This record gives sequence, C-alpha cells and structure tokens, in this order.
Amino acid sequence: MNNEILLLFGCGLLLMMLGVYMLVLYRNLIRLIIGVEVVAKGVTLLFLAAGLFRQDIAFIQSLIVTFIIVETVLAAVMLALVVGVHRIYGSLDIRLLSKLKG
Amino acid sequence: MLLWVLLGLMVLLTVGACVFRDLLYTAVSLALASAVLAGVLFHYGANIAGVFELSVCAGLITVLFVSTVGMTRDSDQGDETRLGRGFIPLVLLVFIGLDVLILRWLGGALPSIVPGAGSGSFQNVFWNLRSADILGQVVLILAGVFGISALFRLKAKEKKHE
Repeated sequence: MNNEILLLFGCGLLLMMLGVYMLVLYRNLIRLIIGVEVVAKGVTLLFLAAGLFRQDIAFIQSLIVTFIIVETVLAAVMLALVVGVHRIYGSLDIRLLSKLKG
Repeated sequence: MLLWVLLGLMVLLTVGACVFRDLLYTAVSLALASAVLAGVLFHYGANIAGVFELSVCAGLITVLFVSTVGMTRDSDQGDETRLGRGFIPLVLLVFIGLDVLILRWLGGALPSIVPGAGSGSFQNVFWNLRSADILGQVVLILAGVFGISALFRLKAKEKKHE
C-alpha cells in the first residue's frame, strides 16, 4: 500500500509541476486557466494519497468534493473574466493586461 | 497494474493539454484527464468524489472551456510560449527526475501507514462533522453565480450605449 501512496503522491507532484510550468510560460489566458486546472488535478491526487495514508477515505472524499466546488467556481469566474478581456482587447494575450496598471 | 495504467494515461493526457496548439484539443485532453482521475477515485472506493469529478470537472468545466474557446476564437490568441514547445519533453524529463528524487527521499522518511480514528461514512462526515463548511460552500457557489452575472450585466449595459 505504501508504494501505491508514493506513486499517487509522485503523480500528483508531477501534475502540479506541469501546471506551474503552464502558468509560468504560457501567455494565452485560457491556457493559464487550464494550468490552474492541471494543478488542481495534482492536488486532488495528493488529497487521495493523504486519505489512503490516514486510512480515512470518507473524510478525504468530503474534502475532495469541497475542493471540486472551489475549483469549479474559480474556473467559471476566471472564464467569464477571459470573455470580458476578449471583448475589450480583442486578444487573449496576458501581456495586454499590463494596460490595467493604475 | 491498473493504477499504473490510469496514472500513466493521466500524465500523458495532461502533457497533451500542454502540447496541443488547438485550444479545443487542449480542453478535451483535460476533460479526459479528469475522467481518468475519476477512475482512480473509483478504484479506491471514493465513489462520491469520483462521480463529482466525472460530472463536474469532466463535464461542466469542459463545457465552460469549450464555450469560452468558441466565443473567443476570432481573437488574437497570444499563443507563443516563453520557451518553445520543443522544450516540453526536456522539461518533462527534468520534472520526472525531480519527482523521483523527492519520492526517494520521502520513501525513506515516510513512516508506516498511520490509521486515523475513522470518521465513518461519507454522509456522517459531510452532514455532521463538517456541517459548518456546507454554509461556506453555498456562499462560495453564490459568489460564483453573482460574479458571473455581474460580468455579463456589464456587457448588457455596454450594448445599450452602443
């Protein structure tokens, strides 16, 4: 069982690294949100690994459900913002948002 | 063995989401990764979390992504990355190397499995142990709904001015 937990942990960590890679290097707003979603997938795997480690799947399931709700609301609001940015600037390039500097 | 296949598939689909140029393929790749994650959750008996992952992440969020891609398809995509896409396999290898190093360290440091007190069933945890959190979740969902409606209300106002 310990090996499976380590495998889940490693995979979650790898997904988090890939998500952060997308967040740091991509300039398209939708790709950045997809990066956040990839990080969220990694975090879900880490939650599952923690639940298996504590042998308390019921508690970790409820945390995962809460996390999915947070993730969904975040994605929905961010995507609505992307549509707004596209309407104003006609572009999804993150560099254009520097115009928002006060 | 099944776990290896599922996790390998998930990493491949996530790399696909990084690599694909077309945003539609990227969204579909992410949806498939979510579906595989739901499979992992089912594998460990986390059925309710698996159903949520499958219906909300693989379903609803994908619909939102595809709609947004459709609505913004005519725009300048700002698609290039700071590093070229050719670097992705190299970056992936570096990440896997880092991962293996961390796991080796953890493998030695991790104590044997710590059994928790056991919280009983999911229903007990959700409705009794974490009942206060439910209010927070409802407020969070309402915040999302009001946030989106505020953004689109702005659009209607601007249309009137036009």
